Amino acid sequence: MDIENVLGHDGKPLLELARLRNVIFYHKGYFSNSIISAMAEVVKLQLEVSGVGGPIRRKLFSSFVEISQNIIHYSSDALPPDQPSSALRAGAVCITMQDDRYMMLCLNPIATANVETMRNKLEPLRTMSLEEIKQAYKTALRTETPEDSKGSGLGFLTMARDASAPLEFAFHPSDDDPATTLFYLKAVI
Amino acid sequence: MDNLHIAATATSPEVDFRFDQHQLALTGESYPENAAVFYTPVIAQLRAYLAECAGTTITVNVSLSYFNSSSTKMLFSIFDALDQAAQAGNKVMLNWYHDDEDETILEFGEELQADFQAINFTDCPIAEG
Repeated sequence: MDIENVLGHDGKPLLELARLRNVIFYHKGYFSNSIISAMAEVVKLQLEVSGVGGPIRRKLFSSFVEISQNIIHYSSDALPPDQPSSALRAGAVCITMQDDRYMMLCLNPIATANVETMRNKLEPLRTMSLEEIKQAYKTALRTETPEDSKGSGLGFLTMARDASAPLEFAFHPSDDDPATTLFYLKAVI
Repeated sequence: MDNLHIAATATSPEVDFRFDQHQLALTGESYPENAAVFYTPVIAQLRAYLAECAGTTITVNVSLSYFNSSSTKMLFSIFDALDQAAQAGNKVMLNWYHDDEDETILEFGEELQADFQAINFTDCPIAEG
C-alpha cells in the first residue's frame, strides 16, 4: 500500500478525507488535563487566525473545553486501566465545518450502567428553547452540585446554551463488551 | 493576615488578594482540571479575611476572559461570600471587566447583580482590541 493511502478509506487517503470533510481539528486517543490545555491553546489560535468572529469563537472554545473535560470525567477507558484515579481517559473530539456551521463532535466509551443517567440529562435539553435552557442554567447555578457529577452539573447545559441547534446524541452498545457503550455527542455552533 | 497571590497558569487565573489594601483581583482564564480543588482554599482564605472586616471598603477587580462550567459555580460562591460581607456592613465594590462582545460573561454579571444586591456592581465592558 502506498504511504499516502495508509489509514485511508475507499481509495482516499486519510488526509484527503479530512480535507473533504472540512476537519479543522481532530484528536483521538487519551485525554489528560495538560493535553486539553495544549489543545485548547491550538484551537484558540487556529480559530483566531481563520477569522472566525468573536462570539462564535468563544462558543466553540467553550464547547471544546466542556466536551474534552467531559471525556476526562466520564470515559470508561482509563490508562492505567481499572483505576478510578487514572488521569488519562480515551475519547475523540472533532471540529468540522459543514454548510457554513461549525460542528463539534465527541465520542467516548462509557459504562453501560450510566447510559440511562446520561440520557436523562440530555433528552430534556433537546426540546427546550434557548430561553428555557438559560433558565435551567440559572437554576442549576444556584443548586448544590449533583452527587453523580464530577464537574458542576452545568456542562451539558453550557453546551446546549452555546449551540445553535439542539444537542444530538447517540449510544451504541460495544460489540465485544456489554459493559461498555459508545457515547456520541454533536453540537452545532 | 497574609496576602494571597497565586500566579496564573494556562488554565487557572492569577489570584491577587491584597488583604492589607482591601484590593482583590482575579485575572485570566479559568478551566482548571478540578475547579473545586483550585478554588476551595481561595474561598477559605477570602472568608477568613472577610470575617475580620468591619465597615471596610473592599475593591474587587474581576477580569476573566473565559471560565468553564465548574469554575462558574465556584465564582458564584466567591460572590456569595462577598455579598454576605456587604450585608454585614462592609462596602464591596465589584468591577466586572469583560469583552464588550462577550454575551456569556455579560449575562453572568447580570446574574450576579440579581442575586447579590448588597455588592456595588460596576459593569466594565472593554472594546475588543
